[in-house]
Amino acid sequence: MSESGLAYTFRLHAGGLYAIWFREVKRAVRDRGQLIGGVSRPLLWVLIMGIGLNPYFRGEVYGEVRFVVPYTYLQFIFPAVIALNIMYTSIQSAVSVIWDRQFGFLREVLVSPLPRATILLGKILGGATVALFHGCLVLVLARFADLSLSIGDIARGLLLMALLAFGLTSLGVVIAGRIRSFEGFGVFSNAVILPLYFTSSSVFPLDPSLTSAQTSVIYPEWLMIVVRFNPMTYAVDALRGAFIHFQQFDAWMGPAVLVGMAVVFFAMALRGFSKA
Amino acid sequence: MTAAIQIDGVSKRYGRTVALDAISFDVAAQEVFALLGPNGAGKTTLLHILSTILRPDSGTVTIGGVDALAHPTRSRRDIGVVFQEPSLDDRLTVFENLNFHGLVHGVPSALRRRRIGELLDLVELTDWRDKLVRTLSSGMKRRVEIARALTHDSRILFLDEPTVGLDAQSRDRIWRYIARLRSTRDLTVVVTTHYIEEVEACDRVCIIDHGKILALDSPATLKATYGQQLLRVVPHADAAAEIAMDYPDATIRPDGEMVLQSSGDVFAESFLARYGSRIRRLSVEEPSLESVFLSLTGREIRDQAATGRERTLAFGRQGGEHTR
Repeated sequence: MSESGLAYTFRLHAGGLYAIWFREVKRAVRDRGQLIGGVSRPLLWVLIMGIGLNPYFRGEVYGEVRFVVPYTYLQFIFPAVIALNIMYTSIQSAVSVIWDRQFGFLREVLVSPLPRATILLGKILGGATVALFHGCLVLVLARFADLSLSIGDIARGLLLMALLAFGLTSLGVVIAGRIRSFEGFGVFSNAVILPLYFTSSSVFPLDPSLTSAQTSVIYPEWLMIVVRFNPMTYAVDALRGAFIHFQQFDAWMGPAVLVGMAVVFFAMALRGFSKA
Repeated sequence: MTAAIQIDGVSKRYGRTVALDAISFDVAAQEVFALLGPNGAGKTTLLHILSTILRPDSGTVTIGGVDALAHPTRSRRDIGVVFQEPSLDDRLTVFENLNFHGLVHGVPSALRRRRIGELLDLVELTDWRDKLVRTLSSGMKRRVEIARALTHDSRILFLDEPTVGLDAQSRDRIWRYIARLRSTRDLTVVVTTHYIEEVEACDRVCIIDHGKILALDSPATLKATYGQQLLRVVPHADAAAEIAMDYPDATIRPDGEMVLQSSGDVFAESFLARYGSRIRRLSVEEPSLESVFLSLTGREIRDQAATGRERTLAFGRQGGEHTR
């Protein structure tokens, strides 16, 4: 090599990362089905579920008003729908890992001089970018949920969404490392996504006005435990903080859990991918 | 002359099956080196080890003077690989596939564009540059893969069964490209195949079976050393059993043809004297790599490729029970 090793190393890693990232994005753009899912899911949840259930969401139990809720149901589930859309797209994007293995493309990448970590990072960043885009599709519906967002809210929200997308795409890769068939992955990912979503206090609110003692009277204890141990609870909570300025937990907890998810799942994905 | 590849005592087993048993050989720079063997002989396993995606259980592999097992990423800069199974992204265009390869190998952009243009020209796919790979025929895909393996500064090209499943015309083309490439750049080629006729043009041939090297030399030397005259006989039905009794070494091909290893003209004459009136067809085959393979492994390489359906049909032609 006549040129300096440093220039080559930089070009290899930057170019390789870009190529792998861009390939994921390009494939997602060319796949119409994925895009249709990304649009129809939030429409269903925001316009039909949200608007339909909106009138029933009041601070009353058996006709007796106990407290005033500072937001509508539509506003309440809006951040959760963003999380749902990101979750679906992130985890589904890991299908490309199975695809690559099945159709031999993985080998093409493995015989390149790129280290495994760079390959995996490019792939996850690509999937996360697509997922972030699908999250933004929901954001377009903000006016239907009567949300007026400042630039600062949006910036904060996007950062949290990006973190969430990265963590969940890594989780998808971890799952794809274990389940190697397309069909199995589809079934399993649904079995992961929906419970995570429903137990993240996304659609059924934990009543903000109740003390923890009162909450545990109203809700069964096992459900409370599941909700508290579900990392998505804190992700949705952080997004609520950004978009409707309401949080059940301390403000630092959401970002901390999101960063934790990103780091842990990426490390797990890398461990699995290095053995592949 | 420096060796492009040095393999020393490479072994690999899958469970109890020994895929490679202490394989050692050198490949000289700018040589065209063929690995010949039936399916399951260990060719692909060896090629995967050489292309650093599979680690051997023991032994050393040196590529371009670098220990490929200790520094796989360094070795990968020097090698281009065309795998047996297609490994293109068929949802990307031809150009996108090649450009991706260039990027993940750190090829600077100006050089990348120029070289992709040249290579597409070489494999006669310039008009298909912006077509999605999935719209290409399998022969064209193979050509894209060969072009791709050379988009970076690869000095060693590994081809795993590059022509399997292709029609005769496409196979010729691929060998023509390889010949043309060797005249324009410093290139060592290691190719696996079970098409004997393709091996004739290679510099050296390594015949392997059951993970062991049976012979390694130039095609001419191999023929001189191991080659045998062959008698190909199609006997009448009644004579077949008798011939099989007399010549227990004879192999019977699925289409009813019997292949006898002849020791010379005397052998042929004595055979004709006995069975001359009871055979339908007879041909004498001068020493070829085919006969080298037969005498080394005791079976014909072509049989490996025959499918179950072909065998059944051949059985039927012989008057097998299906047609009775």
